[in-house]
Amino acid sequence: MKKLILPRRTLLRGLGGLAVGLPVLECMLNGNGDAYAQSGSLPKRYAIVFAGQAIGGDDWEENKYMVAGTRTTETGHFIADTAAGAGYPVTTPLKPLDALGLMGDFSMVSNLKIPWNSSSVEGADVPDAGAFRDFHGGGASPLLCGTRSTSASFKAASITSDQIVAKLNKTTLDSLVVRAQPSWYLSGSEFAGRQYISYGDGGKAIEAQINPGIVYHSLFDSFTPEGDGEQAAHDFELRARQSVLSLITDKRERILAKVGAADKLRLQEHFEQIRALELRIAAMPPSGGSQCQKPAAPTDNLPVGSDNAGSGSDTIGTNTGYSDEDARARVLADLIHMAFVCDLTRVATLQLTVFQSHMNVFEISTDFGMPIRADLHECGHNGDATTRGQLPVSMCLGWHIGHYAYLMDKLKKTPEGAGTVLDNSVVIFMPEAGHGVQLNDATSNFATHSVDRMVLLVGGRAGGLSPGRHIVAPANTHPGKVLLSAMQAAGSTDDTFGQVTGKLPDLFA
Amino acid sequence: MHALLGLGCSARRLLAFAGACSLTALLTACAGGGGTTSHPGGSAGSAATTGGAGNSGGGHVGPGNLSTASASVARRLSRTELTNLLRDALGDDSGAAAKFLAEDQYRPFDNDYTVQEASGALIESLEAMADDVADRALSAANRGKVVPCAPTGAGDAACLRSTIESLGLKLYRRPLSEEQINAYLTLQSFATEANADVPHDFYTAVNLVLRSMLQDPEVLYRIETGRPTGEPGILRLDSYEVASRLSFLLWGSGPDAALLDQAKAGALLDGPSRSAQASRLLADAHARAQIERFHSMWLGYRAIPASAELAAAFSAETNKLIDTIVFDEPSSYLELFTSTRTYVTDALAAHYDLEAPARGQGWVSYPDSKRAGILSHGSVLAAFSKFSDTSPTQRGIFVQTRLLCNKVAPPPANVNVDQPPSAPDKVCKLDRYDAHRTLESCKACHAQLDPIGYGLENYDIAGRYRTHDDAHEECVLPDKGELPGFGEFSGPGELGRLLVDGGKLEECFVQQLMSYAIGRELRSEEIATRDALLASFEGDAYDLQQLLKTYVSDERFALRQEEVVP
Repeated sequence: MKKLILPRRTLLRGLGGLAVGLPVLECMLNGNGDAYAQSGSLPKRYAIVFAGQAIGGDDWEENKYMVAGTRTTETGHFIADTAAGAGYPVTTPLKPLDALGLMGDFSMVSNLKIPWNSSSVEGADVPDAGAFRDFHGGGASPLLCGTRSTSASFKAASITSDQIVAKLNKTTLDSLVVRAQPSWYLSGSEFAGRQYISYGDGGKAIEAQINPGIVYHSLFDSFTPEGDGEQAAHDFELRARQSVLSLITDKRERILAKVGAADKLRLQEHFEQIRALELRIAAMPPSGGSQCQKPAAPTDNLPVGSDNAGSGSDTIGTNTGYSDEDARARVLADLIHMAFVCDLTRVATLQLTVFQSHMNVFEISTDFGMPIRADLHECGHNGDATTRGQLPVSMCLGWHIGHYAYLMDKLKKTPEGAGTVLDNSVVIFMPEAGHGVQLNDATSNFATHSVDRMVLLVGGRAGGLSPGRHIVAPANTHPGKVLLSAMQAAGSTDDTFGQVTGKLPDLFA
Repeated sequence: MHALLGLGCSARRLLAFAGACSLTALLTACAGGGGTTSHPGGSAGSAATTGGAGNSGGGHVGPGNLSTASASVARRLSRTELTNLLRDALGDDSGAAAKFLAEDQYRPFDNDYTVQEASGALIESLEAMADDVADRALSAANRGKVVPCAPTGAGDAACLRSTIESLGLKLYRRPLSEEQINAYLTLQSFATEANADVPHDFYTAVNLVLRSMLQDPEVLYRIETGRPTGEPGILRLDSYEVASRLSFLLWGSGPDAALLDQAKAGALLDGPSRSAQASRLLADAHARAQIERFHSMWLGYRAIPASAELAAAFSAETNKLIDTIVFDEPSSYLELFTSTRTYVTDALAAHYDLEAPARGQGWVSYPDSKRAGILSHGSVLAAFSKFSDTSPTQRGIFVQTRLLCNKVAPPPANVNVDQPPSAPDKVCKLDRYDAHRTLESCKACHAQLDPIGYGLENYDIAGRYRTHDDAHEECVLPDKGELPGFGEFSGPGELGRLLVDGGKLEECFVQQLMSYAIGRELRSEEIATRDALLASFEGDAYDLQQLLKTYVSDERFALRQEEVVP
């Protein structure tokens, strides 16, 4: 029987006339299964998993630590303390990747550096793509968007890499921006911008969705269920939902006409977001390639932890400052995976913990056998009274990387064409800090407040990426070059990223 | 006192830490550069103020002048206001808003409209919340509260209309237009459609009406339009808009039926009728909760690092003092800072080492002048801590910014505020803080902050008195500090006395209250209004209820000015 070949551009027309692509059906592929039958390659996904923590202990050399009062000198715990090239010894934070057989599926790029001005603290004197002399805020913009920061604010000055890639595609959701840590955990202060890693044009912060149930509904409500009765109910609910929203958008003009200029701007934004929701609802769901399945709804009873009583030592408490981020992260990774598989979106950012995160690490550290009485931020600075330095920090980093590995693994285990979804993806792991000279005082070494000796992990094989190596970047390589390379792997033709130019050829074959 | 300007401070780093003042001169300047010592001070990260740029044409100042009506915009209800509206309009006290919506930013109030943005995440969260609330509201057990008639069938248009009108009045805070009612009536088709596979009835339509209302900007925002007056850009609010201003200020919620009736009758457009309604609203428990909440945000104790049990005990103590001074035994509001007694349980008295109350709980007197008023409460003393202990600098920032409305510049950029002050040879905490007094780049700012904290340092993070550092008996604490420009003091009671006698506290309080009422920091053109209000406050012996009535009676409470778009 002749195999049915669907042209790549076969689209479904949704109720609102919105066209949405099908997920990759086998009948669209060429004989080798590695490209669409009628030209063009398979969709490329781009994801960033972010960790709001240091990669070493403040003032601690990388081979030194203390656990339960005992000091030890031992190598192999700092993430990049290993040989360059392929087949390098697995360091402590990378063990979750090793456990899932993923060492060949990502490259580690170390020795990255964001430039900064050691002789001036003025905003005007920050070099291009550089960091304002105040960590944590100063490090955010250059890392996320390649444009320099000129103040201590966490705000990215221009569009982030994920949003650049999002513009390349037309999918039901432009991107999925989600966060595991739901609360700030420190009374008397606020997120104040630390909760953003995705920014649109001009540096407009994109609010993450923290409620996994809402992410689930956003992605999968449009899926048509199996049985007749269920389909009827689904159809009824869909029509009802659309009617409910259209009553609101129908009065947009009337409302905007009666208010002044300032209110027009404010309310327009709100109406536009409702309109965007309407359009997403109107998009027909994928008809379900073999791998695209509506998952079970996540539990909606995840707790939100209360504020910590301090940041470290014995007073922090053991049952505050934690909202089961471990479970949240896993659910969110599941949703990102299926969103990619169903081609509901091709771009996702998962902020596990916020910049300067005060998430209490007692529970996760107890789980990994090294109870630490501190929040994540304090863990990087002083740990707790008896446990501090490289190993505890690396174990916490390993917890984050465990979630990165989980996502990578799911993508790798999902066949697509002749390979897997991971073969058509770029998945980046991005910690907030390096471990070098301190950005603030320009003097202390082995500092957590550092944008020197930064590390990024680049997973997947999209666009010619050739993973499996530890790449020690040449001196003064900006992390933005890694992200620019990653964006190019995902299909971007940009040759600049903010104020960064150039890529890292070693990432490619 | 607070006019140490310009000492080489980079103008670009003038940021407000907290508090609602954008007007008084920068308190002090921080020179850049230098300093290799780690740095304990500075906020853990209050956002920079965006502050409005709006400036009405100068002109005359003084009460009653139209051109000084405050600029306002469509303000989205804060999460707490939405929670209260759902409770009062629908009887829903499930906390759905808190479950689905992200927390507001506290600056220090939760209703700062300059930081409100409508994101995709917000819209999705609102849809989920609306679904949840509507399902519960129309459940068989609850629908009687929401539907004011007994429908004859799925197609009972008259009953649907009554329901739409009733819900609409409460949620929109005004009657719906005929056009709007007819639009909602179209949802009746979901009740009546022929569909054997899907259970549906009259209440299905109501469910959808409610879902639509709860996502509607006209419900979620306080949209004020008003009608033109003679003055350009100045608009006169209608009765319903005024009713909402009253209820959201005094109750943090929508107007009740009686207030809506007043609005319907076209009342509330003159000062005396607003004052009368304010009296009624203030006599209600909603007002107590609102005033208590205002204080918890203003004084920073709405979330403190203490066990749930202790936090609840502190909360009860502080709310009792506020309620007594403002509502139960109305006296000068300033007594909040000088009261020589506090209301405690046996456990709390033991905690503070005070005499036990009679009969398990009651008023006890403080033994001396060192403790008095709200600043002595565990609630306030627990806020503004750092590194699991008290921070003299943070407490100094609290007093300067929240109680005196002064701005404090951030620390120099290259100073690492994430580490406590370290000086390996110095065991005693305040010796380590001494670096602030000696280093050139530190002392100008810290001279305005740390001495305040030193006077409070004998009161630990749980409000208990101590004579020395927690871990070191040899590190005796001074039990004395200074409020720069006002004098020396020992303990929160004497600090309160200095503040009350100093003549600036009440001005700052009025400013904070106005800031909360308006939803942003005050602007220079609003200063005269603040001053006039302050004069009234003084004239009324600092009666807070009277102050609120004076505020709402002012002509400008029923006026608004268009915000200038930069």
